[in-house]
Amino acid sequence: MKLLAIVFKKELRDMLRDRRTLFFMIVMPFFVIFLIFNLSMRLGMDMEKRAQEKKLRVAVFSAVPLPKFLETLQSGDRVIIDSQVTRVEINQAVNDGRLDFAISFPDDFSENLDREGTTEVPIYYKASTSENERALGRIHGVLEQYGRQLLIQRLEKKNLPVDFVEPLRIDDRDVSSIREKIGQRLGGMFPYFFVIFCFLGAMAPAIDLAAGEKERGTMETLLVSPATRLQIVLGKFLVVTASGIFTALSSVLWLYLIFRQSKAIPAEVLSGVLKVIEWKSLLLLFSMIIPLCAFFAAILLSVSVFAKSYKEAQSIIAPLNILIIVPVLIGIFPGIKLTALTALIPILNISLATKEIIGGTIAPLLMAEVFLVLFALAALGLVFCAQWFKRETVIFRGV
Amino acid sequence: MIVAENVVKSFRLSKEQKKENAARPGGGKVDAVAGISFTCKPGRIFSLLGPNGAGKTTALRMIATMLRPSSGCINVAGFNTVSEAGKVRRHIGFMTGSTGLYERLTPLEMIEYYGRLHGMEPAFLEKRKTELFRLLGMEEFAGRRIGKLSSGMKQKVSIARTMIHDPQVLIFDEPTVGLDVITAKSILQLIRQCRTDGKTVIFSTHIMGEVSLLSDDLAIIHRGRLLFNDTYQAFIGAMKTKSLEDEFIRRVEEA
Repeated sequence: MKLLAIVFKKELRDMLRDRRTLFFMIVMPFFVIFLIFNLSMRLGMDMEKRAQEKKLRVAVFSAVPLPKFLETLQSGDRVIIDSQVTRVEINQAVNDGRLDFAISFPDDFSENLDREGTTEVPIYYKASTSENERALGRIHGVLEQYGRQLLIQRLEKKNLPVDFVEPLRIDDRDVSSIREKIGQRLGGMFPYFFVIFCFLGAMAPAIDLAAGEKERGTMETLLVSPATRLQIVLGKFLVVTASGIFTALSSVLWLYLIFRQSKAIPAEVLSGVLKVIEWKSLLLLFSMIIPLCAFFAAILLSVSVFAKSYKEAQSIIAPLNILIIVPVLIGIFPGIKLTALTALIPILNISLATKEIIGGTIAPLLMAEVFLVLFALAALGLVFCAQWFKRETVIFRGV
Repeated sequence: MIVAENVVKSFRLSKEQKKENAARPGGGKVDAVAGISFTCKPGRIFSLLGPNGAGKTTALRMIATMLRPSSGCINVAGFNTVSEAGKVRRHIGFMTGSTGLYERLTPLEMIEYYGRLHGMEPAFLEKRKTELFRLLGMEEFAGRRIGKLSSGMKQKVSIARTMIHDPQVLIFDEPTVGLDVITAKSILQLIRQCRTDGKTVIFSTHIMGEVSLLSDDLAIIHRGRLLFNDTYQAFIGAMKTKSLEDEFIRRVEEA
């Protein structure tokens, strides 16, 4: 135990002086989260705003004058009516960007109205520009409003109330609490951060403390010291695990700080989120991070000690990043829930359990199952790593 | 004292090695060390001489408990290297030419680390550290990060690490490989000092000059087998050529 503590303390000191590890532990989570929040969110909101405020060039084709429709379309001063493009040029004009939208009322529109029939009104636009796709809603809104005006006129002619054509009015009432709603939305995003940062935080020290030691020639001197291989591997394993935990916590802390100061998030959403995240939930999340990091540490150390060099370790570990991301992404998909079966799948179980923990809907039995699976994996990983470390063909591979 | 009796170490061949050695007998295995026996006595320097790939490093790694012999037995300072590996490691100092150092630690931290690993009492560790640092002239850079030291300074740290726990048995595996002349000389001085202090010293090399400078006892290893194992004087007496180098080549070629 004493030798293990000595190895642990030295490895910890060595790790904390490694700029690469410190970058992964502290700086990288900040940049990634900052960029995701302040760049992608702001970009998304700006795009939405631009789509809403963009002055659209719209051509309206109709055999009869449509003053009311044009008035509605131009209200808000965000539409320029184009009168230069002819009906035969519609496709060309939309394609080359001279027009954003073309609304083509068929020639029999007036007769259809008189006959109280239905008219199909095509809207031409180019969906390949995301701004136009968003602005389509505005055009739809104007047409729907115009259609409703025509409907009311028809009903008035027949002395019928509007309710006549609306026997049912659907009223959605979501009984889920704000906490559950936030749990579903934020809960899906949360594991995306801490699972990946657990892995990235453990990666740099794992490579440095095993493949790096082999490459630098310090592994031999450690192997001939009185510390047993188990003590050596445990000392390294604990440091790598601690680094993963610290990185995950640092990512959560950055997330919290950036989230709080973000101007892109409406104040009511911000206060709602901060209210629903309880200490109990955070403790449960933290307790899942520990075995997860231990599992990652065992896998990463095993790979690293097998590698002949730092470079080889990096090239083996890089594809593992994708393996980690896939179950996290699956967990974000709607409709996938934490069940007795999904609780058995590592990483996916964390992703799903996080949603339920934040939403306050986690079933104690499923939570216990997730813990059991995670601790069993961590224990198995550690046993494998310890045995792997004892193998001469592994530890002296390339030395 | 080191006593090796009929020691064998076999390694499995990799796929590429198997292809290269398809015609060779042995079925996917190769004996890096093939039944060697020798004794290294206290106060004497035992030189293990051999060409590259002869089995020197494998033999020394077995003595240092890093590798387990496939068969045979090695005792170091009275302890078996397999069943009492921990005790053996407390009594040995191990150094190679490619030995690395923890570049982010200071010499002081590194030496203290190995001292603590060897279970040294704080007072003894402090005394020993002061002695070694003074002896090697390390006081000046004791608090600087190892990564920022010159290669000569680093070599001194390496020597201090090897000697900090005052081991009875010292193992040097090609300790001067890749070193400049001045640093190599200081290593050879250290090895001689160890003999004067009554330590058991085994060192491997393929440099004849080092053999003539240091050896009390000599073994020549080739393809895992000992071609010669006696005193250095006996080797000189039995020479059929004019130089050490020629005699070594003659014996290897005849094997």
